[in-house]
Amino acid sequence: MIRQIIHKEILENLYSFRFILSLVLIIVLFAVSGFVFVGKYRQQSGDYWEKTNENLTGLKEQSRQLYRLAFYKQGVWRKPKALALCAEGFEKSLPNHFVFDVFSSNLPEIKGESNFTLSHFSSIDWVFIISMILSFLALVFTYDSVSGEKEDGTLRQVLANTIPRYKLLLGKYFGVLLTIGIPLFIGLLVNLIIVVASNVAVISGLDWLKILTIVILSLLYLSIFILLGMFVSSRTAHPANSMAILLLIWVVSVILIPSFGRIISEVSGKTPNPAELERKLGEISAEMWGNADKFGERAGYMSGDVNDPGNNPPARGRLRTAETNAMNQAREDYHNKMLAPASVGRNLTCISPTVIYQRISESVAGTGINRCVNLCQQVKEYQASLKEYIRGKDAEDPQSLHLIFPEQSCAQAWQTISRKPVDFGTVPKFQERDLAMGQSLKRAVWDIGLLALFNLVFFVASWVSFMRYDVR
Amino acid sequence: MIWKIAKKEFLLNLMTFRFAVGTMLCMVLMAVFVPILAKAYQERLKTYNQNVSYNEAELHKVTVYQNITPTIYRQPSLLAVFSEGLEKQLGNSATIQYNEVPEINAAAANHYLSIFSIFDASLIFKIVISVLALLVAYDAISGEREQGTLRLVLSNAAARYQVLLGKLLAGLMVLLVPVTMAFILGLVILLCFPMVDLAGSDWIRIGFMSLASLVFIATMYNLGLLFSCLARRSAISLVLGLFLWIIFAVVIPNGSVYLATQILPVQSEDKLNQQMASLQRGIQREFTAELKRSGRSFQGGGSRNDRPGLGGFGRGYVRSCDKVFMENGLIRYSIGVPIEIRYADKRSEAQYGHLRSLFEQTRLADNLSRVSPIFLYENVMSALAGTDMASFRHFIDAVKTHRKDIIEYMRSRTNNFSSSSFFTPCTKEETELPPIDNDAPPLDLRDLPRFSYRADMVESLRRVTPDLALLVFANVLFFAIAFAAFVRYDVR
Repeated sequence: MIRQIIHKEILENLYSFRFILSLVLIIVLFAVSGFVFVGKYRQQSGDYWEKTNENLTGLKEQSRQLYRLAFYKQGVWRKPKALALCAEGFEKSLPNHFVFDVFSSNLPEIKGESNFTLSHFSSIDWVFIISMILSFLALVFTYDSVSGEKEDGTLRQVLANTIPRYKLLLGKYFGVLLTIGIPLFIGLLVNLIIVVASNVAVISGLDWLKILTIVILSLLYLSIFILLGMFVSSRTAHPANSMAILLLIWVVSVILIPSFGRIISEVSGKTPNPAELERKLGEISAEMWGNADKFGERAGYMSGDVNDPGNNPPARGRLRTAETNAMNQAREDYHNKMLAPASVGRNLTCISPTVIYQRISESVAGTGINRCVNLCQQVKEYQASLKEYIRGKDAEDPQSLHLIFPEQSCAQAWQTISRKPVDFGTVPKFQERDLAMGQSLKRAVWDIGLLALFNLVFFVASWVSFMRYDVR
Repeated sequence: MIWKIAKKEFLLNLMTFRFAVGTMLCMVLMAVFVPILAKAYQERLKTYNQNVSYNEAELHKVTVYQNITPTIYRQPSLLAVFSEGLEKQLGNSATIQYNEVPEINAAAANHYLSIFSIFDASLIFKIVISVLALLVAYDAISGEREQGTLRLVLSNAAARYQVLLGKLLAGLMVLLVPVTMAFILGLVILLCFPMVDLAGSDWIRIGFMSLASLVFIATMYNLGLLFSCLARRSAISLVLGLFLWIIFAVVIPNGSVYLATQILPVQSEDKLNQQMASLQRGIQREFTAELKRSGRSFQGGGSRNDRPGLGGFGRGYVRSCDKVFMENGLIRYSIGVPIEIRYADKRSEAQYGHLRSLFEQTRLADNLSRVSPIFLYENVMSALAGTDMASFRHFIDAVKTHRKDIIEYMRSRTNNFSSSSFFTPCTKEETELPPIDNDAPPLDLRDLPRFSYRADMVESLRRVTPDLALLVFANVLFFAIAFAAFVRYDVR
């Protein structure tokens, strides 16, 4: 019986004006999204390899003298990702450039051909189309599913037969889900064909699995809106009223709440102030140099002449290391202070399924803020491994003082680090690693639970309401 | 007759469920959002005050003219509560330096927060009330046809234009209610905050904002009315209206920015960096040439006693030095500083060339977005709130003028940078004495030019006019088409 109802629902929807309109809109959007992605990805990967090679050439030049490796400011760029097709994760307004040497790293920054005077815009990836447009269409298809039939008088007729109400409800639910599924799948197919045919990005087996996960999650997300539509429709007597309520709910949960995150963090009063960081760094430096003698006699003194008895290399090393460590700490605190409000904002706005859906697709696709944080971590690990490498190589040189501290002029003049050349092949190089699927899924488990919970709540709500619905 | 129809429609609409829900939602959102936005403004104001007082305190510590490098901060705009615009996207400070001309730059703010879109009170108007306008309008004609009442009305002596005008009037009156209520509620809440101090010009701006909101809402209503006259069934007119709404609200603003980046790619930063580097080399070259021409030369040696970080604005200064160092310093600065000032202008020109390509791209994106009334409205609001691009440029221009004043001041005080007071408080006589270790007294800077800035209201009103005119035009256009459609409408 359910199958018959589903069949009828789908057929009815297929012939409707709204279906044709949404089919066209969705396919156009997905096709545009595919072309946009191909163009962007091609350009990004060109830039990425060019800049990465530049960095490696620079590093190679430094390997002629070991100490220069330590002081070379490396610039690492975020690698373009094929799965940004599904969820770009606002990456174009997130830091993409990391500059560091062995001792310290700058705050991550945004570099490249971006125009800061343009207003921020969401890129049209799958998540954008599905979370904004398709969720809206889900409501357009369901707002009259119960109240509309009541107005037409067909609901009475159907229920006069021997169909239990729950079957009718389920039939309608799956009918709409499948109807929405048609433009979604055609759109996805068009999109993927464009991307695969253009041959710019390699989509690996694991990536296909991730894409499948995102598609399933998208259906889960859309199903929330379908159930919501049916719930509101079975609470109201007129489809016009249900449309009004649904639209307002949609506006609040899809547009207003997700943008609420920023203001929450600003109100908390803990917005980090860049001028303050500068001041703090200045204070640290002034304090360390003011108490230079704490680190040993004549730590503040430095003369280019190695044999000058006034020099005290170990003390100098302690001073400079302490200064750099304190500055690194200050920068890291600042960085954490910047990150904290973003995640707090997201957690607090999780009352909107859209936010959950965005977050979950980002973690499956391995993009977004978490990736930036992870990249910072990887840079840090790399710094440590390069330092370890330098320490190891330095130990082999009897002429070096074996004092690895952040002052290039000392290293140059006193040979605190070896000046011997090293084999570039053995120097560790930075390579971005993807987050493991298991790890990203672990992050996503909560969000999947939340999406399922939303589904459950709205399903029960619409079931209860429909059971008591007055069909007259 | 028109008036009668309008009155009847008005009362009918006021009693509808959707109107009640929409208005309630608006009020609730205003009541929730405005205090939060005001609180955020308070925080920004606090940071601004901190920065300004730090700046002032450092100015009193300045011991040498070289260190006069105050930072000018842009006061956060209170009206950003209504329209945020670029307020948090662009830098709100500029440091005055003799060797650098300040330019508009990106805010050093928190990048990670850009995962959230802009949030301000105009969002309520441009999203919630515009949907409400569509909801009020969609069944104005097609709904009445379905109910059969349109036939009855037209069988009387009422002309069609009267019916349509009456509907328009009624719709505007109905929508006036939530718009005015939301504005009044927002303002009342805002005025409850102690730090809020609205000047006369702010009131004028707010007045124009509410006017713009009304015009915008009328546009959306006319759009709904148009679809109502085009479609025979109210469900279809609603679906059409909503589709167009989502295209206006979501697709066009995002799409046009993307299109603009494709059509007019910005000049690459590498090119700018190359230009900058070659200019930097130019400074060196010119310095050497000038040095040769003056017949002076640097001497070897020289010793000094530094006071790192204590000369104001976190900069150090030379507390005392010997004769050789003094002579060298005099040569370096009296010849170098004028060259650096000249090159700062050249660098600024190069940088401006790069910025211009950014501005052009942005202008193209804006022009493409002007198809959407929602964007037009957004533009008008941010210009009125003083948070648009032009306001920032106006501010930076004022800072540039101020920089010139400061340089002129430094020049007059240091005898065209050839006095030692430019880099050290140490006098010629003191170079003979053993090094001094205590701090020097700060300079007397009471007559230093002060920065004062006032946003130009007339100018921002002038900027608003074309967009507002476009909105009015959209109104007329939609209504005219609706009228043309309604004249031929089959009322059966």
